[in-house]
Amino acid sequence: MKEQEQQRIEHLLKETMQTTDGQAGAELRRDLWPAMLKRLEAESARVPWFDWALLASVSVWLVVSPRAIPLLLYYL
Amino acid sequence: MNSHPYLRAYMAGVAAPSAALLIALTFFVLMRLVCHIPIPIERFIIFPMAVVPSAFGIWNIVYLRLKPHRSLPIGLHGALLPVILVTIGAVSALASGLMVTDSHGVTWFGAVSASYSLLVPWFFGLMVLYYLIWKYVVGFLNRVLGIA
Repeated sequence: MKEQEQQRIEHLLKETMQTTDGQAGAELRRDLWPAMLKRLEAESARVPWFDWALLASVSVWLVVSPRAIPLLLYYL
Repeated sequence: MNSHPYLRAYMAGVAAPSAALLIALTFFVLMRLVCHIPIPIERFIIFPMAVVPSAFGIWNIVYLRLKPHRSLPIGLHGALLPVILVTIGAVSALASGLMVTDSHGVTWFGAVSASYSLLVPWFFGLMVLYYLIWKYVVGFLNRVLGIA
């Protein structure tokens, strides 16, 4: 009876420890931050020429017509 | 991260104009105190402080709500916002005396005058700026918050 009890406790302990180890390991292996950074860097690197042209046109517009700056700031 | 998507959309939308508000406020304080241009900041600041950030947040919620039904890119969705904001802004500016119209054109803040012919390119310039802000700033924040 005592031996059976010991085996049961041993089995329960092993099961519990395995579960805890598994969860901790899974958490460490699934650190998403580096992958997130890579994804953000990859996406931010691609700016099409059309958007550069639009940005340039807005910049030129503000240089040529600086009176528009207060109005733009009013709507931002 | 899948809970409260509309709250996250609102927060992502509000962030960009909130940061721009600091730039605008600094610009207008400098214009008033350094350049001595009598801009009524206390009346001017109400619209960019209270209306514009909320409009960005709500517009981003609308974008998220409509996303499954139609595939309008976020930049173009943002470029449509000036249609609403300029209308509300013009009405509130007229009501508060920030904008005065006459036969030659429009005068804002008692300092910036523009003829009616200039208003159309200015409006398109604002749309282009909104397109870029929505595509790159709000879109980036949407991706970071997991709602893109």
